[in-house]
Amino acid sequence: MVMLRGFLVLSAFFVAGEALRLLLALPISGGVLGMVLLTAVLMLRGAISDSLAVASQGLISVLVLLIMPGVVGVFFLGDAFDGQWLAVGVALAAGTLLSVLTTLWLMQRFTNDPQEAKHDD
Amino acid sequence: MTDVSGWWQPLQESLAASPMLAIALTLGAYACGSWVFHRLGSPIWAPPVLVSAMLLSAVLAVLTIEFRDYRAGAQWLTVLLGPATVALGVPLYQQMHHIRALWRPILCTLPLAATLAAVYAVVIAGLLGATPEVLASLAPKSVTAPIAIGITEQLGGSVPLMMGGLLITGVVATLCVDVLARWLAITDERILGFALGLNGHAIGTARAFELSATAGAFASLGMGLTGVFTAIFLPLAFRWIGL
Repeated sequence: MVMLRGFLVLSAFFVAGEALRLLLALPISGGVLGMVLLTAVLMLRGAISDSLAVASQGLISVLVLLIMPGVVGVFFLGDAFDGQWLAVGVALAAGTLLSVLTTLWLMQRFTNDPQEAKHDD
Repeated sequence: MTDVSGWWQPLQESLAASPMLAIALTLGAYACGSWVFHRLGSPIWAPPVLVSAMLLSAVLAVLTIEFRDYRAGAQWLTVLLGPATVALGVPLYQQMHHIRALWRPILCTLPLAATLAAVYAVVIAGLLGATPEVLASLAPKSVTAPIAIGITEQLGGSVPLMMGGLLITGVVATLCVDVLARWLAITDERILGFALGLNGHAIGTARAFELSATAGAFASLGMGLTGVFTAIFLPLAFRWIGL
């Protein structure tokens, strides 16, 4: 029953997220809106109930199982994207190299700035 | 009971009509894939989801089950991605206190780096002549899978193509962080973890937990914030650009 109560909370936030999406005509998925709502509510409350912790842990531990049908689809794409694989490959490899470089450079730049940090004290 | 074909035919037909066969095959492949992954010594280049998916594809091919039929049955599992995405709010909340330790670099880096992670890939693919559907499938490449599926559906991309791109991105990002951190002489585990989670989603986060618990915590935070930021920013940007 503990896990089901937590699942009820998650489902309720999902439905609330879907309602928000339709109400405001947002292009953001209901799951993400529900997650943002849940995070906001938890930050306001400052605590997580046991049932919510159990249910969320249970679902997160089987995430790989839930995304598997989507991954299997890769092997059944057939010739749907023929002639675009070079673009896809280069975009993924070069794009990821550039974005990792950008992240590391920005984080290092803003962390090693003792002059700036002093203003916070 | 005497005639073998007498009960096999109805069994196959009744299984094909219910989602149980697809669910059983998915669970079985997941168990086998996890086992093989551990036997291989948990390699970064072959995450368990890839091993399991390859096994499952082979089984579907051998049993001559149409992917369309399999996907219809597996919907009973994938529908849980909705509440599972909501559940990601719990670890995100639990990692929030790390923001206090490094709030300035995180707030300065995250919006720009998460935006560029999508922009680099979309611009490069666009210049090489990719179609809008491919661009929509590549854009959420640094976002954790459950959130990325929602984004791709909103953008009108192909979920299987996006999943393939996601796996490659996770592996490439993990290798790039290793190489570039050495080149830039970065040893701060908080920075390495954050970069792994931001660019390499769950695959990068798994690698960060191998480095240290601190790196893992910052990777979880980077993954969660990137997911939320990208899920809100990308669909609005695509709508605005008119793609």
